[in-house]
Amino acid sequence: MPVEVAVAATDLATIQASQMGMKAIGAGLAVGLTGVGTGVAEMGIGAAAVGAIAENKDFFGLGLLFTVIPETIVIFGLVVGLLLLF
Amino acid sequence: MLKPKQMSRLLIAASRDQMAPVITELYRHNLFHIEEFVDQGQEGYEGFKIGTPLPGASEKSTDLIKIRAITNAIAVRGDDIDSVKTCPRAELKSKIERELPILERDVEDLTVRRSKLDTRLKEYEQKIVEITPFVSVPADLDLYHGYTRFTAFAGYVPREVVLSVPSEMYFSKGKEKNFLVVIAQNEQRGEVERTLQEAGFQSVSIPEESGSPQSRIDYYSGQVAALTKEIAEINEKLESVRNKHAEFLAACEEFLKSEVDQTEAPLRFATTKQTFVAEGWVPSDMVDEVSKSLVQATGGKIYVTVLPTDYEHDSVPVEYNNPDFAKPAQMLMDVYSRPKYTEVDPTLMLAIVFPIFFGLILGDVGYGLLLLVMCFGLRKIMKGEDGQMFLKVLRNASISSIIFGLLFSECLGFELPWHPIIFSRHLLIGGGSEGGAGPAIPALMIMSIWIGILHITLGRALGMYNHAKQDHGEHRMKAVMANFGWLAVMWGILVAIWSNVAMPYMFDLTKLPVVAAGFNAGTFAGGALIVIGVLCIARDSVLEVIELPTIISHVLSYARLVAVGLSSVAIAMVVNYMAIGMFIKPQLANLTIVGVFIIFVGVMIFLLGHTLNLALGILGGGLHSIRLHYVEFFTKFYKGGGKKYIPFGMKRKFTED
Repeated sequence: MPVEVAVAATDLATIQASQMGMKAIGAGLAVGLTGVGTGVAEMGIGAAAVGAIAENKDFFGLGLLFTVIPETIVIFGLVVGLLLLF
Repeated sequence: MLKPKQMSRLLIAASRDQMAPVITELYRHNLFHIEEFVDQGQEGYEGFKIGTPLPGASEKSTDLIKIRAITNAIAVRGDDIDSVKTCPRAELKSKIERELPILERDVEDLTVRRSKLDTRLKEYEQKIVEITPFVSVPADLDLYHGYTRFTAFAGYVPREVVLSVPSEMYFSKGKEKNFLVVIAQNEQRGEVERTLQEAGFQSVSIPEESGSPQSRIDYYSGQVAALTKEIAEINEKLESVRNKHAEFLAACEEFLKSEVDQTEAPLRFATTKQTFVAEGWVPSDMVDEVSKSLVQATGGKIYVTVLPTDYEHDSVPVEYNNPDFAKPAQMLMDVYSRPKYTEVDPTLMLAIVFPIFFGLILGDVGYGLLLLVMCFGLRKIMKGEDGQMFLKVLRNASISSIIFGLLFSECLGFELPWHPIIFSRHLLIGGGSEGGAGPAIPALMIMSIWIGILHITLGRALGMYNHAKQDHGEHRMKAVMANFGWLAVMWGILVAIWSNVAMPYMFDLTKLPVVAAGFNAGTFAGGALIVIGVLCIARDSVLEVIELPTIISHVLSYARLVAVGLSSVAIAMVVNYMAIGMFIKPQLANLTIVGVFIIFVGVMIFLLGHTLNLALGILGGGLHSIRLHYVEFFTKFYKGGGKKYIPFGMKRKFTED
């Protein structure tokens, strides 16, 4: 009987640990994939914005604004990651 | 405050002989924004022509160009110089006539000599490059030229070549490329060329030199060294000229620029044969002063009047009107766009909220102090007006992050001797022994959402106000209602959520009586708000309805205040754990020679890690805070695109009347 209890306790510990691991993987995926998404989205905008700024310096503010718009995606990823972990 | 400076449209008319005193007077005041006259037959301006410059304009322009040539040559910029004393204009004028030609000749002599030496230096360096390959061939350079019946080839080949014709050949194997010289009879030239071509021969030119290659290289290296020394001497002389005359030159430039500006001002006026008319903008509170002094300067032979302003069609120049502490934030406004004359100027709000956001993100006493020290250090280096403004913005932000650091109890990722006063951001890194209670993530998130809700509500309210103030007829009411609609939808969604889910730090409406289908009164109230809101938006523009999801994404976007901040805390704590927990502490317990080296590595990790994190913190804190303003806040009410107020005149730094 005590053996079974011990086995059950070990199982529980293993399950909890693997759940924690799954959460960590989920958080990592959330941040990583959204980061890639943001990067892809900013790629085109950034290039175009730099081109526009080279033509006319006044465009800097607006260009920066457009470039950082997709940043929200990775922030959402970070938020999801934090909520998963804590 | 919250409104640009009030402007009045001034019309000045006088006879042409009064033009010079009027221009001098306007320039002195530095208040009159000239509305340029364009000769396109505007109403009331029939028969007027663009004026001609005052006498002496071209000489002064030439002088100014000369001065600028000198200042460019010795890199003097008025912005970078602190003016010790100002120089009276009369004295400066005689000084310019006396000293400028001499100075000009000196500087020109030096720069011309320098450029000649530069050319020779390049030539010699090129020669060295040309001769270098021949060093590997044991033959004097005379042996390559001067033949009538032979042709010399030199160049690189990928591998050794065998020629079928009689020839002298030397092959030297190099590390990357093999060098080959061939001397063959003129008759076999074609054959040799073909064989070499097939072997992938890259020809190099044969230098017209004599003597052994190495001795020639030594000779040219000596020449290069001598030239470099001579150039350095000239640079030193220019530097001494710069040290001696920098302020004089800056004063000259300022003086001549003001002269040129004044003599060329008539190009912006409307003139007839006998009279001229100038239109422009003056801050309303200065109108009296300006017109009085104009009347005085011309002995009353002038007509000055304030014209009525049509705010919709006149493009009124915009000058900020902010209390002193908010002035640096004007720079951040100009990066986006200057406000229009008729709309709310949000500089004051930006000046208050931006440092708070920055502090919430960075929130660390150590980083805040480092940033503050950096600001004061850079003040000596960045002299321009924009630079100073930027440093002031940074200073306010760093003070705010020190305050938030005290509240969060953070210093370089360590906990200060007290527990966090507002919310804990300490992560459990390195086994949690130093992490304390762990971060209060849900509370922090909800705080940031609240900030978002309030900030956006303020933005929409300002949007309603802006539209209400603007006169675009029937559309005005619709636009105001649309802004109200956006607010109603946002708060409707919130009320509906509160009625169904109880959350910490938010209103709990779940206890309201159930009305129908298991939903309570709050849910229905929220739903009603949403429907009303959508209708209001759709009345203004149906297409706007597809933008509805932005309500949620914009509010959630404020979560970056917490997320970016936590990531910087995480980096700081990881650096601390690596440097101290993994490298320094275990070694200190049992000190050995190797241990000292490992401790050194630990210290390096600590320094590098925190430097990196500080850089990321400035970038992240600054960019995200300003982005929350530009994207989430300004899009709700702010149009921008106002014309900058550029008064006719200049801020004197080096000269005086």
